[in-house]
Amino acid sequence: MLLSRILNMRLITHNMLTSHVKGVTNGYPLIIEATEVEEKEVDFNPEFISRMMSRIEWPALVKAMEWIGKKDCLPEEPIENCEKDNDFLQKAHHALMEIEVITGSLKCPESGRKFPISNGIPNMLLNEDEV
Amino acid sequence: MTWYFVSKCLTRHAHKPAKIIRYFGNAVSERAVFSRRTKAIQKKRAVSSPDVHVFDYLKSEASDMICDRVGDVKRSFPVVLDLSSNRGFLSRTLTKQDGIDYVVQGDICRENLVHSFPSQLPCDSVAFDEELLPYRDNSFDLVLSSMGMHWVNDLPGCFKQILRVLKQDGCFIGVMCGADTLYELRCSLQLAETERESGMAPHISPMIPGHQLANLLWGAGFSLVTLDFDELIVNYPSMFELMEDLQGMAENSAIVHRKMLHRDTLIAAASIYQAMYGDKSSECIPATFQLLFMIGWKPDKSQQKPLERGTVPKGFNINKSET
Repeated sequence: MLLSRILNMRLITHNMLTSHVKGVTNGYPLIIEATEVEEKEVDFNPEFISRMMSRIEWPALVKAMEWIGKKDCLPEEPIENCEKDNDFLQKAHHALMEIEVITGSLKCPESGRKFPISNGIPNMLLNEDEV
Repeated sequence: MTWYFVSKCLTRHAHKPAKIIRYFGNAVSERAVFSRRTKAIQKKRAVSSPDVHVFDYLKSEASDMICDRVGDVKRSFPVVLDLSSNRGFLSRTLTKQDGIDYVVQGDICRENLVHSFPSQLPCDSVAFDEELLPYRDNSFDLVLSSMGMHWVNDLPGCFKQILRVLKQDGCFIGVMCGADTLYELRCSLQLAETERESGMAPHISPMIPGHQLANLLWGAGFSLVTLDFDELIVNYPSMFELMEDLQGMAENSAIVHRKMLHRDTLIAAASIYQAMYGDKSSECIPATFQLLFMIGWKPDKSQQKPLERGTVPKGFNINKSET
């Protein structure tokens, strides 16, 4: 018997996803059109979040929160030396790891092509004519 | 109508395969060797079977060896990408002790991701094709690939994509099947087909030899490339059990120009296999899986480089009286 996992797309994954349709030059960030969103508690790891700050695109994360409907939960700009600011790290942790999109779609900002999300798994597979 | 069309196709000469392509699968381009769509369908069928876990042994063994290699690298990798994850063999075994905080796993078949194993690490799943990585540059510290690259059409392009999504000084560890995999099955089918059908068609995928893999990795831009080879020999009662297992683990043929095998040819191939490679004492046949393990790094200034020419002093301190 195979157990189906409960999977959801976190915003940390959305921060790395980009549209790779042929001919698209600026397919990042993908616009989130979420129909079902959940919040789940995840263990807070301040070292991991401060390590992630150097590689995540902060403006894309702020926009992602806006599209989900949680505007103003994050500051517009990341704080400098944020490793010591626990409050900021907690907010970043909540945004990156605890908000999960279950169903919806990701829309390419340039071509408008929608990548559906179902059961928490975004489907980034392209058709043959888009490759 | 369809069977008439098929019989006309099969009697055409081999140098005109155009219509056969349309019947047997959709190629992404004219040069594609494997049909990715067919591979996705085969994976979906395999995972829908109630006894899919019976066929996990090969992928599970290969994934365990990859995880050993990840543990041997004395670095932490906060964000990891798992290409062609199948049912999540890698994320099942990796732990925080390997220095990993977060895994993104992906497969061409969505059903594999839905039925993947639970993981100790936070893990997200995305359905994507390994040939087109939908991630922005410099996203991942570590990219892993376990038993998936031997189904990729454009291997040089895939390696370049992996290099693109890796961070500076990021690492790529992978395993794929090499050219000696299933050579017994390949030879048996070739001999049987030549004998019964006066010709032969490819039934085993073309797989890359080890030295060419090294060239591809260097050519893509990886540095500090290291390869090692391992052979797993699995014994089966007969050729038919081997083929059934290959289908069960979704490793059956997905070549664009694949041809049906007649019953007579299969029976002949099974007896050739037993006669040429079989073990008379145990009455079983061996099947070889050659595994090519590769590790490559994205170039970075902090990595060790060859010394400048002339740095080492001349000579080997040989006494002049001895010369």
